[in-house]
Amino acid sequence: MTPSSSAETAAGRRRSTSPLRAVLLRRLAPVVLLVVGIAALSQARDMGLGELTAPGPGLWPFIVAGLLTATAAVLLVVDPAEDYEPWTAGTARIVAGLVGLALFIVLFQTLGFVVPTLLMLTAWLRFFGGESWRMALVLGVAGAIALHLIFVVALGVPFPAGPVDQLLGG
Amino acid sequence: MGILDGVGQGLAVALQPTNLLYVFIGVLIGTVIGVLPGLGPTATIALLLPLTYTIEPATAVILLAGIYYGSMYGGTITSVLLRLPGEAASVVTTFDGYQMAKHGRAGPALGIAAVGSFIGGVLAVVGLILLAPPLADLAVSFGPPEYVALTALGILMVTYLGSGSPLKSLSMAALGLLLATVGQDPITGTTRFTFGQVSLFDGVDFVAVAMGLFGVGEILHSLERTEKVHAVTQKIKHIWPTRQDFRDSAGAIGRGSVLGFVIGVLPGGGGVISSLASYALEKRRAKDPSRFGKGAIQGVAGPETANNASSTSAFIPLLTLGIPANVVLALIFGALLVQGITPGPQLITEEPEVFWGVIASMLIGNLMLLALNIPLVGVFVQLLRVRAGILAAFALVVTMAGVFSVNNDIFDMWVVLVFGVIGWLMKKTGFEPGPLVLAFVLGSIMERAFRQSMLLSGGSLDIFVTRPLSGGLLAVMAMVIVISFLAARRRRAVFEHVEPEDEDTDDVDAEQERAAGGDDSDGDSGRDGGTPKVAPLAAHRPAEGDPGAEAPRGGGDSGVPTPPPNEGRR
Repeated sequence: MTPSSSAETAAGRRRSTSPLRAVLLRRLAPVVLLVVGIAALSQARDMGLGELTAPGPGLWPFIVAGLLTATAAVLLVVDPAEDYEPWTAGTARIVAGLVGLALFIVLFQTLGFVVPTLLMLTAWLRFFGGESWRMALVLGVAGAIALHLIFVVALGVPFPAGPVDQLLGG
Repeated sequence: MGILDGVGQGLAVALQPTNLLYVFIGVLIGTVIGVLPGLGPTATIALLLPLTYTIEPATAVILLAGIYYGSMYGGTITSVLLRLPGEAASVVTTFDGYQMAKHGRAGPALGIAAVGSFIGGVLAVVGLILLAPPLADLAVSFGPPEYVALTALGILMVTYLGSGSPLKSLSMAALGLLLATVGQDPITGTTRFTFGQVSLFDGVDFVAVAMGLFGVGEILHSLERTEKVHAVTQKIKHIWPTRQDFRDSAGAIGRGSVLGFVIGVLPGGGGVISSLASYALEKRRAKDPSRFGKGAIQGVAGPETANNASSTSAFIPLLTLGIPANVVLALIFGALLVQGITPGPQLITEEPEVFWGVIASMLIGNLMLLALNIPLVGVFVQLLRVRAGILAAFALVVTMAGVFSVNNDIFDMWVVLVFGVIGWLMKKTGFEPGPLVLAFVLGSIMERAFRQSMLLSGGSLDIFVTRPLSGGLLAVMAMVIVISFLAARRRRAVFEHVEPEDEDTDDVDAEQERAAGGDDSDGDSGRDGGTPKVAPLAAHRPAEGDPGAEAPRGGGDSGVPTPPPNEGRR
């Protein structure tokens, strides 16, 4: 928690209309951790725990999964509310950003580095950075070429081949 | 090899033109990202990790270390001028540094911080040279139980020192340990938690995890906010402190060096803990403690010295025991592992050019930083004009390209994306990524040592307590927990008494107290030496109105607009 987050959550608490929803959202993190912990416990047991004298592959995962489960279980009860930042309209921007990143990876696989980078930089600068179209395009083109030169030409990273990449050499 | 021979060899390495270039690049990048709020040393080092694999191990660590201590210098600048800590360890500097700036003494505040950082850094390097070799000698006799105790100590310290909820940090550490078990069991070869994915047989890639949690997670988190950073347009004059300033702060710098050094060596130390402790110490020692919070130069000199000293001495556990003391060091540890070097007691004899080269480069780097910071402060301030959106867009693309280049595997890009989401969610729900990453790095060491211990002892857990060294370490662990708990309470008491009486408005008053109190109880946006939290910006801005305009002389005292506390935050 940072100096600000107590202040921020104070703001969030005031803003929040439904305390029940807030509580549910707040408990989400411990619940997820608990599920992960229990799943890992059962998986680790299946791997074979062995004995302390001859530890099996599952013993250590079992111990740490036990720690995770135990802490998550306690957090389910005592997690301090001040740690939580409120969910805001800005959260939607995050989802959009994530979709953009995923798209970048998919395109990267098929189109190589330069084209997806150009698209990604331009779109991000325009929509999330609030730059003008012209500025976003200039930075996008310049950035894509500069990064291609750094990664492919200077460092020799074998990016998937794409139409424009070959033109630029490397 | 004697210490003098070692230092000589180190200087020979550090003075090679390539290494000189890289230490310069390192401290320059460090200063720059220290100035830029929202991009701290942790994120930067995570982003640059892939690029270090193509260079020599010694050069790589020289570069990364330079970024780390360089950021300690750079973080001061925005703390003093805008009351925005550029990185977490500089939070304390906002208390008195900003007040000095309001009284027209921004120059001396920055000057004394640079001089103090330099002295603290150099003294810590000397301490490192003296302490590390004997510690490494001692560590050679460590067996598996000692390593279990040491790694447990490291993880526990990181979860304990600082964060308001040690339990949540412990939970994250457990998750990190669990993640470390993904892949083939080192002893039997059984695959664990791979879900049939061939890419997971070698485990989850450390670089991808670190870049996701710190780099992408941080950028996503900052997407939710939209406010802009104000540029500072005033000229900063009289950087070089007066003789009186030096006399006033000499004691604080001396004590800050020692305190920072000691705290940096402790697991979980470094960064913000040391600067908080130094501030508390200076305030307690002062003849007139009421001056603190109103522009006392000691309140800038001490903490700034301490945070730089601690960022240097934090290398001791890594270079001698192979245990990273905080998250930044965990990243450097990871960089060395990928280079095929396992930091540990043998490092000093097997890779002397890495060990001594890095140490010698710190001397050179600190000298460069002093030269960079005193005359060029004005240039760095201009960096605040770079818009956050541009920074984020490029950081993302570099992250993706960089992580691909580690294994030339697209799978790792998806790992970054997934951990980016996890990192963002952790920020939203108040979980620290630091313990997760540290535990992830230490996990395989800890598991191997644990299993070897069990084989040694024939399955008896007594082995951890009965061996003098591991038993001693466990006792230290218990002791440090008790002490840190008491110290945290005392520190809280000290900070509750920071009352900036000459603040302009009640709103600002409350703001500062919140900053002081909040930071102390949970400590630690940067107990890891700098998980960069962008959040402080948000909290500070509304109360300040236009800090850029009023920073140097406090000319806007009467007319500071004070919007309602909740406005403009998102």
